[in-house]
Amino acid sequence: MNERARLSGISLLPIASSVMAIVMAFVIGGIFLEANGKDALHAYRILFERGLINGDGLTETFKKMAPMLIVSAGLLIALRASVWNIGIDGQFMVGALLAGVAGAHLSGSVPNPLMWSIAAIAGIAGGLLWAVVPALLMVKFKLNEIITTLLMNYVAVYVTAWLAKGPFKDPDRVAPQTPKIPLEDRLPFIPGTEVHIGLIVGLISVVVVAILFRSTVYGFCLDVVGRNRRAAIHAGFPVGRLAGSALLLSGAFAGLAGANDVLGIQGLFKANWNPGYGFTAFALVYLARLNSLLIIPFAFFFSFLLVGGDSMPRRADVPTYFVEMLEGLMLICFAVAVYLERRWHVISERLRGRPDDRVEPETSSGVESLEGLEASS
Amino acid sequence: MTINGIDVTDFLTAMLATGLLRAVPLVLASLGDVFAQKAGLLNLGIEGMMLSGCFFGFYAAYHTESVTYGLLAGMAAGLALALLFAFLTVQLRVDQVLVGLAITIFGAGLTGYLFRDLFGGQNVSAAVRPMTIRIPLLADIPIAGKALFDRQALFYLCWLLVPVFAFVLNRTRFGLNVRAVGENPFAADAAGVNVIQVRYLAMALAGIMAGFAGAFLAVADLKIFTIGMTVGQGFIALAITMIGGWSPWKIAFGAILFGMLNALGDSLQIIGVGVRTEFIGMFPYIGIMIAMIVLARRTSVPAALGIPYARGQR
Repeated sequence: MNERARLSGISLLPIASSVMAIVMAFVIGGIFLEANGKDALHAYRILFERGLINGDGLTETFKKMAPMLIVSAGLLIALRASVWNIGIDGQFMVGALLAGVAGAHLSGSVPNPLMWSIAAIAGIAGGLLWAVVPALLMVKFKLNEIITTLLMNYVAVYVTAWLAKGPFKDPDRVAPQTPKIPLEDRLPFIPGTEVHIGLIVGLISVVVVAILFRSTVYGFCLDVVGRNRRAAIHAGFPVGRLAGSALLLSGAFAGLAGANDVLGIQGLFKANWNPGYGFTAFALVYLARLNSLLIIPFAFFFSFLLVGGDSMPRRADVPTYFVEMLEGLMLICFAVAVYLERRWHVISERLRGRPDDRVEPETSSGVESLEGLEASS
Repeated sequence: MTINGIDVTDFLTAMLATGLLRAVPLVLASLGDVFAQKAGLLNLGIEGMMLSGCFFGFYAAYHTESVTYGLLAGMAAGLALALLFAFLTVQLRVDQVLVGLAITIFGAGLTGYLFRDLFGGQNVSAAVRPMTIRIPLLADIPIAGKALFDRQALFYLCWLLVPVFAFVLNRTRFGLNVRAVGENPFAADAAGVNVIQVRYLAMALAGIMAGFAGAFLAVADLKIFTIGMTVGQGFIALAITMIGGWSPWKIAFGAILFGMLNALGDSLQIIGVGVRTEFIGMFPYIGIMIAMIVLARRTSVPAALGIPYARGQR
């Protein structure tokens, strides 16, 4: 029974399901808009024009892509090992804060590339730090990581706000924020564009994760743990350590994404700044069918969705929250698509004359998560 | 006796009163969630259901100026999302975590959209007047009297639900079926229990209670709606259900504990103890994690939690 291999290899059916889910979500969203007295077609035109066609918007989309790619690459590591890291937002915030502090402190006194590297390491350390708690609780105390990573998000909001108001506050400003990294010390643009080089870091992150899963033993072990935790335990895998390390790595990537946004765009960390990439990344990685390289086109898609969504209130009288709703709808439609896909497999196997009782898998999301849940809750 | 010019009895009364009020949404959501979890459903959509309960409850209460309609609307919203959850996870057997998070994201987006669109994001309050009942004599007891026996009628009703839910879970045929379905759906099915139906009913109950919890928060307690106002209380309720060992009585105790933890921060600030608001805000989230560490090992998880049921497949 090798459903997951089938899902993660690039074949047409899984991608078709994702695309169908997205189309269905747009249709349902459109009906919702019309029912709500809006001009759905106009709203969608604004959404696509701004993020895709308009040159300015395209730049914004590519800028947004950088954190999307990094966060999703990390989340993929966790999800492939059936570790549910819902704490991306918290890890991102702590990473962003530490990177902002380190960057502002060093800028001007050391060469920029060195400053960027140290700030990136600070960001990674921040993300790791925030993932250590749920990882330890998961491995040592068998606490369900879904709940603990979720709760750590809320703790992060308060901790970072406190740090940005207190010890790390810019003394020259009234607003609760870390000192600013001067504009000339931020990440440079990719030649010929106005997109900072964070996008390249994002692409590299995805490629690194792809290599991790395609050609390393460690990646293979994570996949085994993710696919069938019980089998991994029987085979003598250090399952706790593998799952814990997947959560930590995932946190490290989230922290790096935070550093990337601070060094490339924000220049500082403001109290309560939380772009909330976590849930978007979750939808993204699922729709990409837990396939590392598919993250790239889907990251582009979700980035322009977010960028386009930002201009919808002004130009189409549609609140930005519509995009979040659309993401939820996509996942709901995706759930239905996964079911239909499973039925389709059953029917096609039956047509080929095989007994169908061996074909239908117990779970249907593409991740054998449930054994993990059972063991860790 | 006074500290910093504040009367100690007044302070304790206020703390107890706020603590118990904050505990109500938690206990409501957790009570419903016991049935979902006992039936084998891990409902991560609870946050979205609660938030929808807040918004639709508030919306109805704002227009009708009636607490009852507000609560009913909130429950209906919770129920609708719960039926969607049950359809996808019980009927179509799609992964529960995926569906749960999808519903939470959808709920957050939908309520944010509607609030911006219908109210322009303005903070308006619902002109509701919840009925209060003052129980004579008991309300005159110092400290506890005013906090416990001079409250909204609804406040008493919510706490009365604890024994009701304990009774339904432990002493009725439905409760027995729910527990059987969550422990061993195959045995339950063999014994003639309709697993699918029981899971649907348990989930419907959980959704209604999550919506009720949200509506209580927005309509009866705060009388306003703000975007994302549940700030993780749904997830906290989920955790309380677990650390309460799926027992309504222990859950009530846990919810009170976290309500008080919430209120403690506010109260400390009032009497001028220098605790920063950020630390106060973290209390419940850190507290629940500590409680999970301490209590987690002693609880036994429903064996089929999170596992879809398909006849004839083991």
